Amino acid sequence: MHMAIDSKLRTCETHVLAVQEKFPYQIKETQWVSEDQVCITVDGDSAPDIIAFLYYERGGWMPFMAGNDERQLNGHFALYYLLSMEEEDPGYIHVRVEVERETGEFKAVSPKVPAAVWSEREVQDMFGLKAVGIIDDRNLCLPDDWPMDVHPLRKDSMDYRYRPMPTRELEDYEFLKDTGDHETTTVPMGPLHITSDEPGHFRLYVEGENIIDADYRMFFVHRGMEKCAESRMNYDSVPFLAERICGICGFAHSTAYAQSIEAAQGIEVPLRAQVIRAIILETERLHSHLLNLGLVCHFSGFDTGFQHFFRVREQSMDLAEMLTGARKTYGLNLIGGVRRDILAEQKLETLKYLDNLAADAQRLVDELVSTPNFINRAKGIGILDPKVARDYSPVGPTVRGSGFARDVRWVHPFAGYKSIADKHEPITQDSCDVLGRTLVRIGEFTDSIHIIQELLETDLPEGPILNDRWTYVPHRYALAATEAPRGEDMHWSMIGDNQKCYRWRAKASTYSNWPVLRSMFRGNTLSDAALIVGSLDPCYSCTERVTVVDVKKNKEQTLTRQQLEDYCCDRRHSPLEI
Amino acid sequence: MEIVIAIVQALLVLLLAPLISGMSRKIRAKMHTRQGPPLLQDYYDIGKLFKRQDVHTSDSSLIHRIMPPLYMGCMLVLAAGMPMVTRLCPVPLIGDMILIIYLLALPRFFFSLASVDSGASYSGIGGARELVLGVLVEPAMMLSLFVVALATGTTNVGDMGAAIASGNVTVIVAIVIAGIAFLCSVYVELGKLPFDLAEAEQELMEGPLSEYSGPSLGMLKMSMSMKQIIMVSWLCAVFIPWGSAATIAALPLLLGLVFWLVKIFVIFFIVSIVENLVARVRFKLAGHQTWAFVGIAAVALVFCLIGL
Repeated sequence: MHMAIDSKLRTCETHVLAVQEKFPYQIKETQWVSEDQVCITVDGDSAPDIIAFLYYERGGWMPFMAGNDERQLNGHFALYYLLSMEEEDPGYIHVRVEVERETGEFKAVSPKVPAAVWSEREVQDMFGLKAVGIIDDRNLCLPDDWPMDVHPLRKDSMDYRYRPMPTRELEDYEFLKDTGDHETTTVPMGPLHITSDEPGHFRLYVEGENIIDADYRMFFVHRGMEKCAESRMNYDSVPFLAERICGICGFAHSTAYAQSIEAAQGIEVPLRAQVIRAIILETERLHSHLLNLGLVCHFSGFDTGFQHFFRVREQSMDLAEMLTGARKTYGLNLIGGVRRDILAEQKLETLKYLDNLAADAQRLVDELVSTPNFINRAKGIGILDPKVARDYSPVGPTVRGSGFARDVRWVHPFAGYKSIADKHEPITQDSCDVLGRTLVRIGEFTDSIHIIQELLETDLPEGPILNDRWTYVPHRYALAATEAPRGEDMHWSMIGDNQKCYRWRAKASTYSNWPVLRSMFRGNTLSDAALIVGSLDPCYSCTERVTVVDVKKNKEQTLTRQQLEDYCCDRRHSPLEI
Repeated sequence: MEIVIAIVQALLVLLLAPLISGMSRKIRAKMHTRQGPPLLQDYYDIGKLFKRQDVHTSDSSLIHRIMPPLYMGCMLVLAAGMPMVTRLCPVPLIGDMILIIYLLALPRFFFSLASVDSGASYSGIGGARELVLGVLVEPAMMLSLFVVALATGTTNVGDMGAAIASGNVTVIVAIVIAGIAFLCSVYVELGKLPFDLAEAEQELMEGPLSEYSGPSLGMLKMSMSMKQIIMVSWLCAVFIPWGSAATIAALPLLLGLVFWLVKIFVIFFIVSIVENLVARVRFKLAGHQTWAFVGIAAVALVFCLIGL
């Protein structure tokens, strides 16, 4: 246990003291896991009250809760409720709750703080724990035909290659439906729908054109990345897996992972590498926001705008290619720094790109805002009530469009943002609708250009870009967050004694935004459904199987990813000819 | 002779339909800064569709199957009767405005019925939207034509055009305003953005069309494009009749053909530009616009009654 040595308080200590005062003798242990992160182990029965106190009375928000099978270490399962304190004394608090290994039961936090509900459902699926009193007891990640006694993330449950046979034919996932005395018809949207390139199933209950209620289901293509990282990959190769979580904001994920290891192990990242990370993150934001602005046009039927935004977006992809060697900003992060420097001529080139991009994008944005009926389509649609937002901790432009100034870059400055944090602040809108979220993205696009210019023009700090002199200490853990274009990505990781992650929990930004979607649907019309989903700028995952039906021979076969991959590589033995 | 012109007209519209839709695809692509498909792509597409298998949902009945030929049949009859190259109707019997309106309403009714019949939820919603849109746009369309009928004393569209072309009407302001109202309602009937509500790709995934395939889909695509040509020709026949053949002789007929082609290509060019500059209207608000069109038509009626 590290306690404050001098009288000066450490980051987040005021919150710990407040908890001690309000809930005497409930904190079993206090430990600072890094500069700005404290972990308090609390009694399971009082955990919901303590978390609700920190959340609602001390200005906390809850990105997620990470479950961990610590039976090999200390004989318990542990839950880490992560709180991001964003008002006074900003920092992160891990509220650790130990769960008995025999019963596996714990008192659910979600009745007090609804933001915990998805995480608690996930822990029930993945670890077979039981959240007593949870507000939504349905399975979240596991499909209906999964053997219900196999909990993938328990250390003793299964090998990462294990693919169980479906246990039953029935799909009995119960969709929520609260339509009162309205007579509704059900309109399914997805898993395959023309406006979402990725699988998610929405069930809209409509009366005529009006959406009365909606529910949805995700995780059709859960890729089992966490299990794979824990059992197969070394901790230092996980950044390359982490960035493949997302096809757009990959760099945000690998940075978050690398920073979580750096924070836990106390690795000092060279300043130059930190600034490079910030520059690449902003490049990613440029192309992601242009993508979403284009999609907003597409969803409202304005395809001309869509095509032009994509034309301009190509410049930001070129910029990414020049800086990282690939359009997708992949393969750049290492633990302790980055792999590739920004050279003097690349700096000049970047500034040139930015000037063009700023001019082109401004012209398009002006055109979009002056398109006759575009504002009509976006105004007052998909209202995210600030009260709902406060309860569920959404992130990114979704929450900033409802007036909350939540932005990791400026609330908890990291990497290169530290040096310019006093010059920027989160961009917010108060209209709570699709238009608000779109305007936030427009504002952030311009802001991103300014950030890169500022970081480049004040000259990059000289020095190395990688620090590989540090000592590996097993079983230390920490979290780290980055602000991806869609909102906060947060990773919690603990490395084990075998050069692998003992536990890695990655939270993509959209994970925090899905739970509020239901309330955003209500009261709108079917015409706006795609637009509302699109305003979250959602990220699902990618599918990896395809079924081919031969009508003439009347037979069907399922192709595996492997078959497709092999065929893609050698172009011989088409799987269709078998 | 007239009957030959009628048959040739129907065939001409049939053959031109894919060219017109191909042209708007090309303009659309150019405005998107895309290369776009070849101008004749829609001929290839429809040719391919006719070679494909015709699949219907198992729940659908006869209605779903007979709708495409019925739609196309109505369009062929309309194309035969509408004055296009000639000033007067080739077949006066089917040039009556009331009959034309009913011949347009019949396929629309079956279109909606077939959408509901297919059993798919998006199709059904698309069908309902199509009907609502029809109800919303018909008042403006009929009212503006009634103004012309009052002014010219006939309900035959050929005679209306002839009267306007020869300057035999006294209420010029009323005719011009009625023309504007009619133009607006024709635009809605074209089913182009912002009013492509029944098919709204991003909302309903092509709605009623989504359950059609093969020859049925080919026929539907053709018929919808034919309907667009007929609507524009109707507008030209009544309100922009100049240039069409007043007598049945070789030279005027040739000139009439050239004028008609120029007119519809110019109008479709403008329409293609407009449809790519706007976002789709929200279905619930479509009524606001169409009531404005009715208002314009009502103004025309007032002007007509006071003799301006």
